Amino acid sequence: MPRYLAGRLLQALIATFGVMTIVFVVMRLSGDPTLLLVPEGASREHIDALRRELGFDRPIFIQYLSYLGDLLRLDLGDSVVQRVPAVDILAARIPYTVALASAALLVALGIGIPVGIAMAVWRGRWFERPLAALVLAGQSLPTFLSGILLIMLFAVTLRWLPSSGADGPAAIIMPAVALGALSMSTFARMARIAIVDELSKDYVRAARARGLSVGGTVARHVLRNAAIPVVTVAALEIGNLLAGSVIVETVFAWPGIGQLAIQSIQSRDFLVVQAVVLFVSVVYTVTSLAADLVYAWIDPRIRLSPA
Amino acid sequence: MLLRSFRTVILLAAALGTASLAGPVAAQSRDLVTVDLPNDAATLDPHLQWDTDSYTVYRNIFDNLVTRDASGTIVPQIATAWTYVSDTVIDFTIRQGVTFHDGTPLTPEDVVFSIRRIIDPALRSPQLSQFDQIASAEVTGPATVRMVTKSPYPALFAQLVKLSIVPKAYVDKVGAQKFNLEPVGSGPFRLKQWQKGIAATLEANDTYWRGKPPFRTVVFRVVPDVATRVADLQTGKADIVRGLSPDEALTVKKDAKLQVLAVPTERIGYMFLNTQAGPTQDVRVRRAVAHAIDRTAIIEALLQGYGKAVDVVLTPANFGFVDDIKGWPYDPARAKALVAEAGAAGQKLTFLTSPAYDRRVVEALQQMIQDVGLKVEIQTMDQPTFLRRRQGRPDEAGSLSLGRWSCACQDADGVIFPLFRSGSIWAKYANPAFDKEVDAARAILDPKQRLVHYRKAFEILRDEVPGIGLYQDFAIYAARKEITWTPTANEAFFLFDMAWKP
Repeated sequence: MPRYLAGRLLQALIATFGVMTIVFVVMRLSGDPTLLLVPEGASREHIDALRRELGFDRPIFIQYLSYLGDLLRLDLGDSVVQRVPAVDILAARIPYTVALASAALLVALGIGIPVGIAMAVWRGRWFERPLAALVLAGQSLPTFLSGILLIMLFAVTLRWLPSSGADGPAAIIMPAVALGALSMSTFARMARIAIVDELSKDYVRAARARGLSVGGTVARHVLRNAAIPVVTVAALEIGNLLAGSVIVETVFAWPGIGQLAIQSIQSRDFLVVQAVVLFVSVVYTVTSLAADLVYAWIDPRIRLSPA
Repeated sequence: MLLRSFRTVILLAAALGTASLAGPVAAQSRDLVTVDLPNDAATLDPHLQWDTDSYTVYRNIFDNLVTRDASGTIVPQIATAWTYVSDTVIDFTIRQGVTFHDGTPLTPEDVVFSIRRIIDPALRSPQLSQFDQIASAEVTGPATVRMVTKSPYPALFAQLVKLSIVPKAYVDKVGAQKFNLEPVGSGPFRLKQWQKGIAATLEANDTYWRGKPPFRTVVFRVVPDVATRVADLQTGKADIVRGLSPDEALTVKKDAKLQVLAVPTERIGYMFLNTQAGPTQDVRVRRAVAHAIDRTAIIEALLQGYGKAVDVVLTPANFGFVDDIKGWPYDPARAKALVAEAGAAGQKLTFLTSPAYDRRVVEALQQMIQDVGLKVEIQTMDQPTFLRRRQGRPDEAGSLSLGRWSCACQDADGVIFPLFRSGSIWAKYANPAFDKEVDAARAILDPKQRLVHYRKAFEILRDEVPGIGLYQDFAIYAARKEITWTPTANEAFFLFDMAWKP
């Protein structure tokens, strides 16, 4: 196990390093922020002077070495647009993304799992149809559309919920539903498949033969076994949700890291983009590692061996 | 055990979901005004970033050396009077009795400090190019400042409209970084709280020298999606929003509680034509393109009337606009004849564009130009790449592209000089006769003489067509009906000029 962990961490480090390098080079090849910062009409001399002052006239390789040097000292650099440390800008956004990811996960699990169970237990009955429609909608409606539809219905027409922002608990409901919808469908389908699979097994037949009700069998025996794939998927979904959602955060003016990512890419605020990418890679690495560990932990039959 | 871990996850999610969401509390009262902006201010240090969202906020915290009144005339603000000692030396009288938000009086030292600060390359201000004609500034008395320019500079006051006065003592004490986050000015509002990326909250400065501000508290929120900004307005979450497109303006107009506030600005929508590469090197092809464009159709059908057709690459809101110079009228038959005459039928023009330009306008123009016998290929790229190519070598710059140009100075010198003067990064055009006129117009102070030069310059541009004026751009805001405000051509957003209807 320790060897496995060490191997995985080394892999993660290499992957993160690779991602950072690619992002660093691609961002710089596609133009620097100087052109976006100067007012229209600035002369070539002024643009060049500002570029020099900001350090973007140096060869990419030199910039890269200097960036790595700063990174080793845990310094992510300053935003060239906002003139404050990139890490402060990132840190201010993380609580919002964590809150939204948590609420979306709550929506996804809270609706997805019961729906999946219901679809499995009553499969083939008329009752499955509306649930299947719900799952299909959650899976296929793009968030830029579902987001606007939610705003039109619950904010503009019914006036139940605020149309945007992050002030107060009511404001999180619509973005959480919009963001959680896809995960909800994933959970529902996973739960349904896993439970249907378990229901055909001998121990279920045995339990039913002993006189246990369907509900009792599912609650006491089936759920435990069916949970294994669901928990694994959940751990991976957490990574996706924490990476921030560009569209949901933009539509609902939710100030998380998805919104930050798109804003800083548009303004070519390199150091902020790099800070966001670093954060997201670490989150992905940690959650996928956690998914594997949880998987082994809840199912002792699974052995982890060095990759 | 599994159920327990599920429960833990859920409880954690619930706890996180309700925690750390404190923010400005929206109250439907007249004391609070909420403004939705597409982006957060990049900096609140007025000497740093120059973008509409930043100055929309910080212009309310600071006073400027001079300002423009509702009619666009330059009038005193911190400077009460000025006299030209010579063509390059100007003496300013500084207003007395103005205090910064921290209680210290605004002095001539602060004015000189502000000028020296923004022209200091070490500040790395993107605005340097707007002020670098200033050579020096010094205090000459208890209420006087002398400014020296490198050469006679007619656009000086148009630039000084944007020079915010910052407090020397405070900036020296706290340093540039803290000043940016906790700015102190002398304007009608002071910064109360800035949650970067989320909202900036200002509160009224009751001792403001021009009088009591109209609102107690103003919150600038960041709402990137324009449809959401409109929804905020419809639900009362916002009182006034910036940055609407003509289509959203139609939505707002249908709501009886809301109003559209639109104003023609100094921003010119124009088409660039490359005279140094590709088929557009032939002036007949360029004239054909000019004849092919139906401005009225674009303005009526795509801009919903939020645009005013112009014949030259300048708006009537700029000094130097010459009313009676007419461009090339919409005449497809004449355009076809010119294409045939040039032997250019079927030749391919590349039309560079980026998401900053309305795709529908680009495609409409493509269609119009193709209808007269040329081929137009649209190449889309992101804005930094677009700028790099447009400002780069002539053979990279494409045959055509759109521009929405504002010098924020309302002067022809800030428009046609950088766009068409040979040697400028934007110019893919070189004509010594044109250069002579625009050079002369920027070196003399007499407006009448300057106009004579600009008339000649625009006549040359009309004949040679290195660019085509399309329309004067509109700034479109929307607000609750109870707010009164007249937006201005320079896209300033002065809260002090707004009010609630009684």
